[in-house]
Amino acid sequence: MNTLEKLNEIFIEELENPAIKLTEATTANDIEEWDSLAHIQLVFTIEKAFNIRFTNQEITSFKSVGELVKSIDNKVNNG
Amino acid sequence: MSNYVELLLEKIEAKNPDHAVKLRKNLDGMDNTYFEMAERFYSKYDAYMQRSGKSLDFGVDCYLKLCADMTDERIKFMATGKYSSTSFDEVEKRVYGNTDTMTYHMHGLVLGQFLWFEQYERIKFFCDRIRYYAGDKAGKYLEIGGGHGLYMMEAVNTIPGYAQFDLVDISESSFQLAKGVINNSMVNYYLKNIFEFTEVDKYDFVTMGEVLEHVEEPLMLLKKIAQLISNNGRAYITTPVNSPMIDHIYLFKHEQEIRDLFLEAGLEILEERVVISEKIPESRARKYKAPVMFAAFVKSITQ
Repeated sequence: MNTLEKLNEIFIEELENPAIKLTEATTANDIEEWDSLAHIQLVFTIEKAFNIRFTNQEITSFKSVGELVKSIDNKVNNG
Repeated sequence: MSNYVELLLEKIEAKNPDHAVKLRKNLDGMDNTYFEMAERFYSKYDAYMQRSGKSLDFGVDCYLKLCADMTDERIKFMATGKYSSTSFDEVEKRVYGNTDTMTYHMHGLVLGQFLWFEQYERIKFFCDRIRYYAGDKAGKYLEIGGGHGLYMMEAVNTIPGYAQFDLVDISESSFQLAKGVINNSMVNYYLKNIFEFTEVDKYDFVTMGEVLEHVEEPLMLLKKIAQLISNNGRAYITTPVNSPMIDHIYLFKHEQEIRDLFLEAGLEILEERVVISEKIPESRARKYKAPVMFAAFVKSITQ
């Protein structure tokens, strides 16, 4: 399972919306449940799932799923 | 749309488009009363800013700094389940004693009064019901923690028969801002701690909005209010649930904790309003610990 697929599972579970189908171009504007409150909880869940940590600045800077995937892969690959 | 609301949204949009989208979504469908009240308040604020040699752009910059702080505090809160400050001394050093921080924080809150719909619900509940609870008499009115002056401004307009309007605030920055925005000689201003406030024994109506969360022992403050209100006197008290900010100390995790504390202080709730600060279902608000606005008109149980 690649990062995008794993993220998709997390989004479905956290946002309680089985219809979510993420692409790298997906933004918060595309998913009604992905608001600023949910975003923080999503990021915490992602941190646990991938065993990584984001800074506060990183948490607030993600503009799309693609940016999130890139950041996760960088952190996972660079330890 | 009110000229000032639209103007502020446009200025915010130019600097933080995502935030402007959220605000526009939350403010969609607001009624005429909202725009009239917003126009009245922001025009007073704009006039004060012009007298002070500042502009609305300064206010917008302050507001966006406040929002950035709020995001940081929310991340910490969601990670720990606590507010980041736990004592008044800590907040004194971090916020109240830091002129720059206090300035942008206060000016940011001014703009938030009508950009955040739950704050509008808080002032609307007050304006809709104060005449009923304050009565039509030449009474004495007190506001504790005047903030930005909005509540005093509306009280003077809504219960004009009252003979005395007093405002007490412990913070110099907040005090000066409220004084500047209200700009009304009918109001008496006291820069002091409410526990040292001895100017008068009893008031017919006391307002204390968004103060309890700033103190270590809110029960003491509530007991003080119970002492300050006269026979047949009433009070309007508001405080948020799950609302992390740089100057919040006391965390209410649920509105029932507030109701219980009121009762412990000898205050009976006559009417209350609870508003979730995001337009989301209650189940999601609970899950994500969304801030909740709690407001109530109360009387002393001994009455």
